[in-house]
Amino acid sequence: MSFEEEVDEIEANTLLGGAPFFSRPGGKIFIIWLVFTIIGVLIGAYAPHHLLPGLQSPEGGDVWATIVFFTVLAAPVAALVYAIAFYSLFAWRHRSDDPDVPPPDAEPQRGNGPVTVVWLSVSTVLVVVLLFWGITVWSAQQVTHPNALQVNVTGQQWLWTYSYPGTGVETRTLELPVNRPVQFNVTSVDVTHGFWPAALGVQVDANPNVVTVIRTTPNKTGKFIVQCSQLCGLYHAFMNNNGYVVSPQQFDAWLQSNGATPTSAATAAGTSAGATTTAMKK
Amino acid sequence: MTTAVAPPLLEDTPIGPKAGGFYRHQSVWTGLGFGIFLGFLAWLISHATVQGSNWGTDMVVTCTMVGWVVGFNIGVGTFNAPIRWMLGHDQTHEDELYAAGVGQGSSRYLKFCTDHKVVGTQYLVLVMVLFGVGGTLAMMIRTQLITPHSTFLDPQTYNAIVTIHGMVMIIATIIMVSGPFANFIMPIMIGAKDMAFPRLNAMSFWVVVSAVPCLLATFFLGGVNAGWTTYAPLSVQAPAAMDAFAMTIITFVVSVTIAGVNTIVTVVTMRAKGMTMGRLPIFTWGSVVGGALGLYAMPAFLVVMTMMITDRATGTSFFVPEVGGSQWLYENIFWIMGHPEVYVILIPPVAAVLEIASTFARKPVFGYKVAIAGFVAIASLSIMVWAHHMFTTGWAPNLAAPFMLTTELISIPTGIIFLCTIGTLWKGSIWTRLPMYFVYLFVWNFIIGGVTGIYLSDVPADQFFHGDMFVTAHFHYTLLGGAMIGATAAVCYWFPKVTGRMLNEGIGKVAFWMIAIGIQVTYFGQFWEGFQGMARRVAYYNPHYEAANQMSTAGAYLLMAGWLVFLYMMLSSWRHGKIAPANPWHAKTLEWKVPTPVPLENFLVDPVVTSDPYTYGEGVPDGQEVPATAPAPEPELVPAGSAPGDEHDGGGAS
Repeated sequence: MSFEEEVDEIEANTLLGGAPFFSRPGGKIFIIWLVFTIIGVLIGAYAPHHLLPGLQSPEGGDVWATIVFFTVLAAPVAALVYAIAFYSLFAWRHRSDDPDVPPPDAEPQRGNGPVTVVWLSVSTVLVVVLLFWGITVWSAQQVTHPNALQVNVTGQQWLWTYSYPGTGVETRTLELPVNRPVQFNVTSVDVTHGFWPAALGVQVDANPNVVTVIRTTPNKTGKFIVQCSQLCGLYHAFMNNNGYVVSPQQFDAWLQSNGATPTSAATAAGTSAGATTTAMKK
Repeated sequence: MTTAVAPPLLEDTPIGPKAGGFYRHQSVWTGLGFGIFLGFLAWLISHATVQGSNWGTDMVVTCTMVGWVVGFNIGVGTFNAPIRWMLGHDQTHEDELYAAGVGQGSSRYLKFCTDHKVVGTQYLVLVMVLFGVGGTLAMMIRTQLITPHSTFLDPQTYNAIVTIHGMVMIIATIIMVSGPFANFIMPIMIGAKDMAFPRLNAMSFWVVVSAVPCLLATFFLGGVNAGWTTYAPLSVQAPAAMDAFAMTIITFVVSVTIAGVNTIVTVVTMRAKGMTMGRLPIFTWGSVVGGALGLYAMPAFLVVMTMMITDRATGTSFFVPEVGGSQWLYENIFWIMGHPEVYVILIPPVAAVLEIASTFARKPVFGYKVAIAGFVAIASLSIMVWAHHMFTTGWAPNLAAPFMLTTELISIPTGIIFLCTIGTLWKGSIWTRLPMYFVYLFVWNFIIGGVTGIYLSDVPADQFFHGDMFVTAHFHYTLLGGAMIGATAAVCYWFPKVTGRMLNEGIGKVAFWMIAIGIQVTYFGQFWEGFQGMARRVAYYNPHYEAANQMSTAGAYLLMAGWLVFLYMMLSSWRHGKIAPANPWHAKTLEWKVPTPVPLENFLVDPVVTSDPYTYGEGVPDGQEVPATAPAPEPELVPAGSAPGDEHDGGGAS
């Protein structure tokens, strides 16, 4: 088909008039848009569900939900850009025997006020939704629990040390009781490290001379990995260790096997009966 | 243009055997020689002076690097003209003609040359060399990561390579469009005879050249093991390579700042008659906004690296927490530079993409003023988003929400740029030549880079993704997939004007598909690693991530092969390509209206502009034509690279 015939065809099949829906440009763009949207949403649903490490806290759940929600919002927008760009390529591509001859000029269109306004409004609304989501989730994560288990985390080149105040326990593996709020008080003795128990969905840097705090509540037992997320020198890649979320009974036993006195262990373990944690201010 | 009435070409002007004075004896080789000499002298003196003191090595390395940079630039001729001016022997017209390259053939490309086209070509070659270095380092990183515990590189070397890969690529991407095309093309686009400050223009190039050996020297000084962000206090304790790294950046910032000022002043004062700000080609706007943003951002880099050197070499403690310093101070100043810098990289190639999309869709740029407003809005917002790099540092948790707001707001003007791009393509007569291929690839990649960015802008999600390979994949999609592919489109588009030859598009399309597929495989592999929770910048990793890493490495090899094919296409076409007509794309901007090769001072007859360059299909006469003949013989020609004080001062702002 020559370019002119093609242009005629386009004239005949304007966005809104004439032929059946799916043979009009609008209909074809809709199909491309739909395909890309579905692909985007499928990726957004598949990737977090099958690829993320087994998430073991509500904060981890927030990561999962955020990825899915943002993908559902973003996929149609991205798909629309792709649909328009690729439809333009396939429908209005100039085919000629001599590639050195430029196609005739297209119909000039220097802008479109209403389209721009709609585009701006929709993207503004989307940004407000993203922001609302982000702030809501973030504020919900800021709640502090008075009887949270305190864990002091110290980074150094190139290992992590965990201590449980009041128990005298200091270890190189992190063990946490399930379903009990925990507060990590993170610091470093040398350079900046990044305390990143990925499966718990939280992360904070370990800075020298400062204590930074993050909170979470492990809600699923199992093993997880703590990594250093800031390049910290030679053996940065080896600065990781295993962590375990276990039942409260196993946690108590673990504390005692690591040399905790029974009374202080009970304080640290803080059973749901409501042990006081006054001795555990950071 | 060779009609009898046209004035003679300026480059054919006979000049005396002594014209140019000292310049006659200078080239990159004298620069190298004098740089090594002065560097050695500085090493000798500083070594004798500070030997044995606490910070001796750092002081010695810093002094040596300063000696090298200053010596190289003295040797190559950067300071000739100001020194002669101070001594009361200002350059004559003949000297300036010599400095602009008259009568030197291709040897002028190895000299301090004030002709903006020579500077642009020099930049193009430098950028290609830098991409070669950075790409090779990237391949070494990916090779190390094929297996979880590879012995290909030891961790110290690996960390050094990660750092220098980052910095080489940052330098290369900052200058990849503003160097070659804002120098070569932009002045012609606006109808100017040269940049506003031709000597500063040449200086900006040779200063950045002198920075590159400092950066590569880091490999021989112990290696910078702190990542391109060189967070304190690790970088304060790093080997002496860190001093060379900081000197590289200080030198580089001097160059970028000079270039930015030059670009802005050129556009403000040197436009042709009738070339109002509202008729500027969109690429010119992108260059101006990018240059202005660089003037805001880059000095912070100079400041932070100067403080770094004084911390290391003289015992100040800006960033040493034990003695009252703050690592958060470093991180803040760094990212006050670091985020706007991303847009310094992005805006010029994006503007080039709009320019190219318009030419190859045979349509005006959709929403020209909206796009300019988008650039300005992106630039303005980008100076207020830096702390999103610090969401997980523990610094100022109360600022998480405000920075989430500013970061997410920036997606609105970015969306506007997408609207303008697809609006330009919409119902266009799409002419699928090689530059247009890369425009489409830009759209494809930049959307992915943008969408993955919104996950990172969200604080709760960023608590998972920060420091993760997901971030690496995201910013490679924006900077490589977006900016660098945009710059590649620009290379393909302006290659005929720069070299006078057409690209071999058959080979180019092979390269295109290898690059396009290579990018997707490489960085989808890294998204996969990122979802699984693999940290960035690790030399070894959990075997759990092996499949994803192998996918990424396979893609990276394909990508590298694609770039090599592209490089082959460029070099072979540069040498043997079909001779290009003056305007192979039938575009309307002024750079296509001058002959190829472009004569010295570009315009034999000054153009008078009566409309913007986007009158495709509007049935009006082209408003950006260069008349073939002069209206009347002019009393004298404007000297090349003319010094402040003559014609450009008087009437340049017409």
